[in-house]
Amino acid sequence: MNTDSIVFHGDLQQLLEKVESGEMIPKLQASHAPMCKFFTAYYVISGIRHVVPLVHGPTGCPLFMSDFVRTRECCEIRGVPLEPTACTTLDESHVIYGGEGKLLEAVKEAYAKYHPDLIVILSCCCSGIIGDDVESIAREAEKLVGCRVLALRSEGFGGDFRSGYEDAFRLIIDLMEPPGKTMKGTINILGARWGPSPTEFNWDMDEIERLLAAIGIKINAIIAGGCTVEQIRHAREVELNASWCYDWGQKLGDMMQERFGIPYSRTGQPYGPVATREWLLGVATPLGMEAEAERVIEQEMKEVEPDIAYLKQALTGKTAIIEISEFPGPIRALSLARMAAEFGAHPVVINVHPYTIKERMPSIKFLLEMGINPEIILTKGLFRLGSFRSSKETEDELEAITKEYDNVIFFGNSGRFPPCPVVNLTLMNPVFQPQYGFKGIKNIAALVRHALENKDLPRSRLFKGMLYGTGKR
Amino acid sequence: MEQGRGEEAAGPATPSREACTDPYLRCAFNGAAQTALGVSRSALLAHSPQGCEYLVNNAFASQECDYMETMTLCTKLCVDEIVHGGEDVLARTIREVKDLPISALFVISACGPEIVGDDIVAVCESLQPEVKFNLVPIPCAGFRGSQYDGIDIALDTILKRLVKGGGEKVPVSVCLVAPHANANPTWPADLAWVKHTLSRMGIKVVATLTHKTRLSEIENVASAEASLLLSHDAGQNAADFLSTNFGIEQVCKGMPLPIGMTNTERWLFALGERFDVRKTAEEIVSEGERMVTATCRRKWPMARFLYRTPAAIVADATVGIPLVRFVTEEMEMTPALVALYSSKQPVRDLLDQELHSLSLKPQVVYGTDVYKTRKSLREVNPRVVFGSTIERHASEGLSVAYVVEVVRMIRQFRMINREYFGYTGILNLFECVQNEWTMGWRSKERRYEAKW
Repeated sequence: MNTDSIVFHGDLQQLLEKVESGEMIPKLQASHAPMCKFFTAYYVISGIRHVVPLVHGPTGCPLFMSDFVRTRECCEIRGVPLEPTACTTLDESHVIYGGEGKLLEAVKEAYAKYHPDLIVILSCCCSGIIGDDVESIAREAEKLVGCRVLALRSEGFGGDFRSGYEDAFRLIIDLMEPPGKTMKGTINILGARWGPSPTEFNWDMDEIERLLAAIGIKINAIIAGGCTVEQIRHAREVELNASWCYDWGQKLGDMMQERFGIPYSRTGQPYGPVATREWLLGVATPLGMEAEAERVIEQEMKEVEPDIAYLKQALTGKTAIIEISEFPGPIRALSLARMAAEFGAHPVVINVHPYTIKERMPSIKFLLEMGINPEIILTKGLFRLGSFRSSKETEDELEAITKEYDNVIFFGNSGRFPPCPVVNLTLMNPVFQPQYGFKGIKNIAALVRHALENKDLPRSRLFKGMLYGTGKR
Repeated sequence: MEQGRGEEAAGPATPSREACTDPYLRCAFNGAAQTALGVSRSALLAHSPQGCEYLVNNAFASQECDYMETMTLCTKLCVDEIVHGGEDVLARTIREVKDLPISALFVISACGPEIVGDDIVAVCESLQPEVKFNLVPIPCAGFRGSQYDGIDIALDTILKRLVKGGGEKVPVSVCLVAPHANANPTWPADLAWVKHTLSRMGIKVVATLTHKTRLSEIENVASAEASLLLSHDAGQNAADFLSTNFGIEQVCKGMPLPIGMTNTERWLFALGERFDVRKTAEEIVSEGERMVTATCRRKWPMARFLYRTPAAIVADATVGIPLVRFVTEEMEMTPALVALYSSKQPVRDLLDQELHSLSLKPQVVYGTDVYKTRKSLREVNPRVVFGSTIERHASEGLSVAYVVEVVRMIRQFRMINREYFGYTGILNLFECVQNEWTMGWRSKERRYEAKW
C-alpha cells in the first residue's frame, strides 16, 4: 500500500493507545470545530416536552436552536409543536453590571407566558464569565413560579461537546423522584437528544419500540427524546434502563445504576442479527422475559432469512471499507464494521477522527471489550486545514486506498466516489430506514443489492464537481 | 440595539421591560460575520469558542460563499484562554493560516474574549508584518446588540480601515450599502435586480458593501457620487459616514424599497431625477408594469380572491414596510397587523409615513419576538400572514388560513434566487401566495378509496 498519505494504519486498540498517549490529537487550532457545550446541553433539554430552555445570554446563542432544532427538526420534520426558545438578551450593560436581576425576572415572565412544566436556565459564555450565579437564581425563582426551575452551567468554553450532553443528563436525574412502586416489565431508553435528533432518527427508535412491544416490554420514558417531566419523575420506577446507543446512554445509565441501583443493559447498537439479538436479550433477560424475546427473535429471523442469506453471499470474501464521518457518526461505523464481519467481510474503518475517539473513550473501550477491534486507516487529509481541502484530499486518498484492496465494497455515503460499489448508508435518505433491528437488516440488504447490481452505472460528474471541484470524468 | 427595545404597539422608542424574549434576530457577532464574508478573496477567523463557528456558518450561507474559495476558521477558545487570555492562541492561529491565498483575514471576536479583554486589534497590528494579507480586526461580541448592530459595526470598521479617500469621483456612480440586511432568504437576487436596473440607467456601481466585493472596490468607495441603502434595518450609519467623510450623497433616502408597483415606480423615479435619466426610468416602469400585467392576465394570480382579507405582515423592516403598500394596493388585502423585527426610530418613522399615506390603522409591533407575534396574531385574528415558517407554526390553533412564507423560509427551498424588488419581484411574491393558496385547497383526506 502507498503509505505517503497514511498517518495511521493499525487496529482500533492501537489507535486508542495513541489517542490516550496524546500522540494522535490534531494540533491545528483552526481546524474542525464541532458544537460547543452549550449546544449539546440544549439538545438534551429541548427533548423534554413543555420545557422552557431559558438561555441566559445574547441572542446569538439560541440561533441554531431556534432555526435548526426548533423550527426545522422539531416543527417541520418531527411533529413537535412550536416551543419557546427563550433568551435574556444580555447586552453590554448586563456584562458590566451583571444579569442576575434580569434572569430572575425572565424566569417569572417565562412561566407567565408559556405555562411550562419545567424551566431550565442555560448559561453561556457571557453569563459564565461575568459570574452570574444561575443556580442561586434558579432556587430563588422556583419559589416564585409553579414549576421546577433548574440551572445548567453550559458555557461554550466550559467543556467539549460531550460534556454538554452529560451535564444535561446529570441535571435530569435531579427531576427523578424516589420510586413509589416498581413498574413491572418497564424500561427507560436513555441517551436520546433533541426529541429526537438526526442521530436518533425516529425510524430506529420506532423499530426498537416495535420489537420491545412484541416481547411485551413497556417503555416509561425515552430520555430525553420527547419525554414528559412526569415520565422523568417516575423514571426510577422502572426495572431496567437500556440505551438506543451505548455511547450516549452509558453515562446516564451508569449514574442511575450507581445512585439508584437500577440495572443498565450494556449492549451495542442493534445493527445486524447478532447485535440485534444481543440488544433484545440484554433487555429481556434481566426482566425475566427471555423466552418471549427468543420467540420474537425466532419469528423475526424467519422474516429476514432471505436477506441474511443474500448479505452473506454478497459480502463473504469482500473487503468492506467503512467511512461514516459526518452522518451518522463513528459509533455507527464501528457497529457496521461488526455487522460486515458477521456477514463474512473484512472490515476496514477509514478516517474515524482521533478527536472522536478521545471524546468517546468509554464507548470505544466497551466496544473493544466486546471484541470489536477492526482495522483502521487514518489519512493526512483528515488533518488538513479547512473543510474543502480536507474533504477533497480525503476523497483522493479514499479512491487510492480502495484500489489497494481486492474485491472491495464501500460502506459510507454517496458523497464519495471510490472505484467500487458504494453502499449509501446516509441517514439523510428516509427511504431505507431504519437501519436498526430486523427491519434494518432488510434495508441494509436492499442497499447492498442496489450497490452491487448498479456498480457499473455512471456516477454524477455534477455532484462530484460540486463536492470536490473537479467536474471531470 | 434592536432586541429589548420592542413594545406592544406603535409609539415612542422606549426600552422594553421584558426580560424574557424569543428573538428573531441574531447577535452582533453574526451580523459582523455576514458583512465580512461579503468580501471576496478573504477568510474569516472567529476568535471564539467553537460554538460561535455556527453563527459564522449561518453567515456563510447567507452570503452564498463557496467553501472551495472562502475559508472560515476558529480559535476554539476553552477555559484556559478565558482564564489566562486568548491572545497567544489568536496569534498562533493567524500564523497557522499565513499562507492562505487571500487578500484579507477578518478577525472577529466573540463575547468570551471581549469580556476577558483580549486585544485583537493589538494582536493583528503586531502580526501584520508577518502575513501577506490585510488583517482586519472587528471587535464585535454578541452582546453588543442585534445582527443589524453587528452589520453596522463591521461596516464602520471596514470603511474606516480600508477605504482610501482623496481619489477622483466616478461620474454617475453609486455604492450600494447593506444589501445583506434583508430577510428575503435569496436577497442576492434583489441586489442583482438593483445592479441590472442601475446598469440600464447608466449608473455605475463602484462597490457593494458587501457581497462578493473585492478589497480594491472597498478601497475605492470614496469615488462614488452617491450611496444607495438597500436595507431599512442596517447600513444607515455607513451611508451617513460616506456622506460626512467623502461627500457621498444618499439617494432614495426615507423611501420604501422597491417592492410592488408604486414603491418601485417611486424609487426608480427618484434615481432618474438624481442622475438625470428620468426618461429611462419611465421606460423601465412602463415596460415592467406592462410585463407584470400581461403575465398576470395569462397566469391569473389567485391573490385577487383575497380582496380585503385581513392580513398580517411579520418580517424585517426591509421587506415588511414595502409589503404594506404592496399587500394593500396590488393584492387588495388589508393589513391588520404589522410586526417588525426592528424598532429603530427611522423604521418607525417610515412605517408611520406609509400607514398615514394609505389611511391604514393596523396593530403595529416593533421589535417583535415569537411570543409577541403569536399573541398579536391571536388578538388581531388575520386570515393571511406574510411571514416565515415560524409563523406557520406559531399560528397553529388560530384562525389563520394562509401563511405565505416570504422571509426566513425553512419549509420551502429555493435553488434559484428570487427577488422581491422590481417587477419580476412582484410576480415572485404573487407566486408565493399562489402556492400557499393552492396548498390550502388540497384535499387532506379522500371521501372513498379507488378500486384499483
